[in-house]
Amino acid sequence: MKKMGFAFLLAIGFGLVIAGSGIAADKPVKIGFAYIMSGPFATYGQFAKQGAELAIDEINQAGGINGRKVEALFEDDAGKPDVGIRVIRKLVYENGVDIVMGIDSSGVASAVAPVMKELKTPLIITHAAVPDVTGTSCNRYTFRISLNINQNIAMASTIAADMKAKTWTTAGPDYSFGHQSWEYFQKYLSKKKPDAVFLPAADVAFSPSATTDFSAYVTKIMNSKADGVLVSLWGGNLIDFVRQAADMGFFDGKREILMTLGAATEVLYALQEKMPEGIWVGTRYWFQANDTPINKAFVDAYFKRFKVYPSYNAHGAYGAVKTYAAAAAKAKTVDKEKIVDALEGLSIELPVGKITIRPEDHQAVTDGVWGKTAVDAQMPIRILKPIRAFAGKDITPPVEETGCKLK
Amino acid sequence: MEGLLANVLNGLSWGMLLFLISMGLTTIFGVMGVLNFAHGSLFMLGAYLSMQFVRWVGSFWIGLLLGPPIVAGLSILLERFLLRPLYGRDVSFQLLLTFGVMLFLDDGVRLIWGAAYHVVDPPPLLSGVIPFFSQSYPVYRLFLVVLGPLVGIALWAFFAFTRWGKILRAAAMDRQMAEIVGVRVPAMFTAVFGFGAWLAALGGALAAPHQSVGPAMGERIIIESFIVVVIGGMGSFPGAFVGALILGMLNSFGTTLLPDVQMALPYILLAVILLTRPRGLFGAEA
Repeated sequence: MKKMGFAFLLAIGFGLVIAGSGIAADKPVKIGFAYIMSGPFATYGQFAKQGAELAIDEINQAGGINGRKVEALFEDDAGKPDVGIRVIRKLVYENGVDIVMGIDSSGVASAVAPVMKELKTPLIITHAAVPDVTGTSCNRYTFRISLNINQNIAMASTIAADMKAKTWTTAGPDYSFGHQSWEYFQKYLSKKKPDAVFLPAADVAFSPSATTDFSAYVTKIMNSKADGVLVSLWGGNLIDFVRQAADMGFFDGKREILMTLGAATEVLYALQEKMPEGIWVGTRYWFQANDTPINKAFVDAYFKRFKVYPSYNAHGAYGAVKTYAAAAAKAKTVDKEKIVDALEGLSIELPVGKITIRPEDHQAVTDGVWGKTAVDAQMPIRILKPIRAFAGKDITPPVEETGCKLK
Repeated sequence: MEGLLANVLNGLSWGMLLFLISMGLTTIFGVMGVLNFAHGSLFMLGAYLSMQFVRWVGSFWIGLLLGPPIVAGLSILLERFLLRPLYGRDVSFQLLLTFGVMLFLDDGVRLIWGAAYHVVDPPPLLSGVIPFFSQSYPVYRLFLVVLGPLVGIALWAFFAFTRWGKILRAAAMDRQMAEIVGVRVPAMFTAVFGFGAWLAALGGALAAPHQSVGPAMGERIIIESFIVVVIGGMGSFPGAFVGALILGMLNSFGTTLLPDVQMALPYILLAVILLTRPRGLFGAEA
């Protein structure tokens, strides 16, 4: 009898599943997000989630994507490649999402990009900057709307070329992102300034992501003969580095400093007045960088709802949802293959400015900004002043240089 | 010379923080035979409470005074109601339980304080820098360098000379015999677990002005603390001290001299110790 009851339950369960899939017309469009939601970098995932929710609510209020409601599913990739692959498989196979967005860590991005080919599902990367995923290992399903390492370091080297520093070193995370940032910096800066000197590999400071005490790295840099430092640390690492370095007199004006991801509001909110003034910092998006109505509306709506200014990661998630909606409108469907076709060559105005996704490598050509940290009595965090804006076409390497062979 | 001294101080200050945390870990293991995976989370809780007290009353010292006892109180409940029923069972049950507690605390902290990073200022008394050759060195780090050995000596004296210390050591050596001569071992275990948690939380409160306070900060330090305890010898105080110093120095000098393998150095040392001297540098004969 007991067995019978169980069989009944099973039957009802199956019945519900079948009935559920029957009402396809009203089925929502499902977007899967994979961000770091736990551990030391969890605040990046939190900002991204807020940005995504804001965009989805705006779209749903305006009638959804092609008349269908949009539903979001968030997964924690923990910044680990194996977890990233697992959660994206789950999103696609179990939840049946129509598209995947997100990815903070370059390590995760490199691991999941090839998997998208097997899943035949588009992925829009909104943060991870490793060049390969829109370069040597590019594929039909992988897109990126945020700045990559080449683009960001192209700006960094332009600024560095105007500085008086002669000998450069780096403080970066000890994985591909840190090493590639340093590699491209040397390549680009020596082109712009042939007399620039770079410390050899044994003398630069790459720290494991789990580092919380940066004193040894700070000492190493301060005792080297470098007078310019490229800092590619990010998140909690950057916060710890800045505080400890400040205590040790690192920001005493004797060296020029570039922080490639220093203008993340996640970091600026944590550091507040402890972020030194007059340091050149990079970002993927800066909320005060332009006055377009679309940016103003985004910043106002975001601040009103979450009581903080949007970070570049919030903007990345927001922008990816808006980009997807535009592609779906263009394709008049959310069919995965047609979405891929629609994303190729798509141009859309986002808060950051107008972006265009190159069909040849799926990298967005997007404008970038760097700025000098400054105090504004009206603001709870350091702002950027002056701001140096770069046009997307000037900082994006031509397709031939990326190594991508899609077309 | 200047670089050498800075490296020594960097290594010492990091080592002393590790020492405080390893001491609690090694005490709990030495007396109770429990490998406490949640120790890092108690460290994290100590840091968060310190931050919360700074927000409420604006004083680092009050946080240092009140935060760790709160964590200790929580751990006493934990020992009494979760851990105690497991003493008769296989060690793997304790490991699983403390691992579960760690996950629970990590997420609990995120629910209460959110995922963002927090920054705690050192107290005004210790916030400056002192001139150090042509550079400067933060006073707070020197404070850590001095405080570590002081706490260590106080603990060692407690275990070596006081009646309570002797009872603890006796119970650690032979639990049954201690019970026969009238020691209330279960109550003592509760006290020791609370005490170990107090040390972890103290480490957390002291680490708060030194690094950013965020979720999972405990996971990062617990692995190094385990290495310290294994290198020094499970349950040994001098072992924890020497192990922490070695790891601190490996960290600072490794970064400068051997950057390519610096990350692997603690693990290489761990492997060498386990192969040549499995009980650790100061571990008792098996």
